Amino acid sequence: MNQTDRPIANPIVVLREEFDDWAVLFNPDTADAVGTNPVGVAVWKRMDGKRSLDDIVSEIKKSFEDTPDSALKEIAAFVNTLAENGFAGLELERKIADA
Amino acid sequence: MKPWKKGLAGERTINTLYFYLTEGCNLACRHCWMGPRFDATGNHYPTLPVESFETAIREAKSLGLSGVKLTGGEPLLHPHFSRLLEIVRREELKLTVETNGLLCTPEVAAEIAKSPNRFVSVSIDGTDAATHEWVRGVPGSFEAARQAVRNLVAAGIMPQVIFTVMRSNVDQVDAMVRMVQDLGAASLKFNVVQPTARGEKLHENLETLNIADLIALGRYVEQELAPNTRLDLFFHYPHAFKALSRIASGEGCGVCGIFGIMGVIASGHYALCGIGEQVPELVFGEVGKDRLAEVWRENAVLKALREGLPEKLEGVCSRCLLKERCLGSCVAQNYYSKSSLWAPYWFCEQAEEAGLFPSSRLGTRPA
Repeated sequence: MNQTDRPIANPIVVLREEFDDWAVLFNPDTADAVGTNPVGVAVWKRMDGKRSLDDIVSEIKKSFEDTPDSALKEIAAFVNTLAENGFAGLELERKIADA
Repeated sequence: MKPWKKGLAGERTINTLYFYLTEGCNLACRHCWMGPRFDATGNHYPTLPVESFETAIREAKSLGLSGVKLTGGEPLLHPHFSRLLEIVRREELKLTVETNGLLCTPEVAAEIAKSPNRFVSVSIDGTDAATHEWVRGVPGSFEAARQAVRNLVAAGIMPQVIFTVMRSNVDQVDAMVRMVQDLGAASLKFNVVQPTARGEKLHENLETLNIADLIALGRYVEQELAPNTRLDLFFHYPHAFKALSRIASGEGCGVCGIFGIMGVIASGHYALCGIGEQVPELVFGEVGKDRLAEVWRENAVLKALREGLPEKLEGVCSRCLLKERCLGSCVAQNYYSKSSLWAPYWFCEQAEEAGLFPSSRLGTRPA
């Protein structure tokens, strides 16, 4: 099974949004947590295994003003960090085929 | 998260020595967590010998020392303050001075300014003499503190003003920002009264703000006031209450620096920090008599803290997602309150009891 470029959030992880639109991602299995800014929150909400990174970046550019040219790179780095820490993964080909 | 700074041998380094230079102080502040005895001239109570100052620095440099903080009591009361500054310059150390400003003349300010890497804070607790001096206990101290800020600015130092909030001055928060900006300071830090020494009495007498008001004030300072002033504003409460954006920007206020500091109190003893003046069991040895390297590596309290923090923290601190950054906020305060290195921080404990601890910042590992 090959990985796609479609990130998917670990379903056990809880998004805890705070008063200023930043949020804490909390994994109750491990008690690991990571803080994220509003752009990261928007990315997280789109990590459904159906959207590609390019799709997500495209949507983010429509939702936020003054998105930098480096958005794809930064968002990819964010997703990779989440994946390295067990907060997310990449959807597998088979699941997409089954869907 | 940044790794703890370690030396070549993999051991933790002493980043900063905190020198509590005088047992006396020329003010009599109601909220002081050290409780020094009143000493208008600096001649009545012990001050740290220059030789002890030099010895501690010499021994700490081989353990990674990069800076010193000179505080008190009141550091400018030290009879050889200029000599201490010379030593700091000679050793090329970062310099931090915490002063009430009474003795910060243009000459003293210029002497401090000779250190290329320096940071100075001046305490002012109100926007008028009556408010400040009710807290500080000495007539004339308000104008002297303001003049100290001006003298520092004239010498090329943009100081920080520290304002301790309590019931008697909380209505001056907005005006304080304006006054400090007009004085030319770089930043304004809002301190919370700690329930230690005289501060404990202030808490008992209900002269301090309650937990709900403190949390609300912190939010107001960070979210409403800070974006609208050229000053850097800091509210000294634990990380669990700070906006993530403030934490992400690197603000370290409210974090215990315990892994990288060593206190040296006026009697010439090493201690956890200034708490050694209040709690004898947190005094670790004597400068010149005990080798600092041995104290730093072998002292049982320091070893216990390195092995136990933050995992052994108790109460709400044990469940806080920010405990690895915060480290219990202030180990000295926690120990003073409950005689335990692992006791939760009073502020967080009160907030949890009042249902005000941010639920998004709590989480425990499954058993």
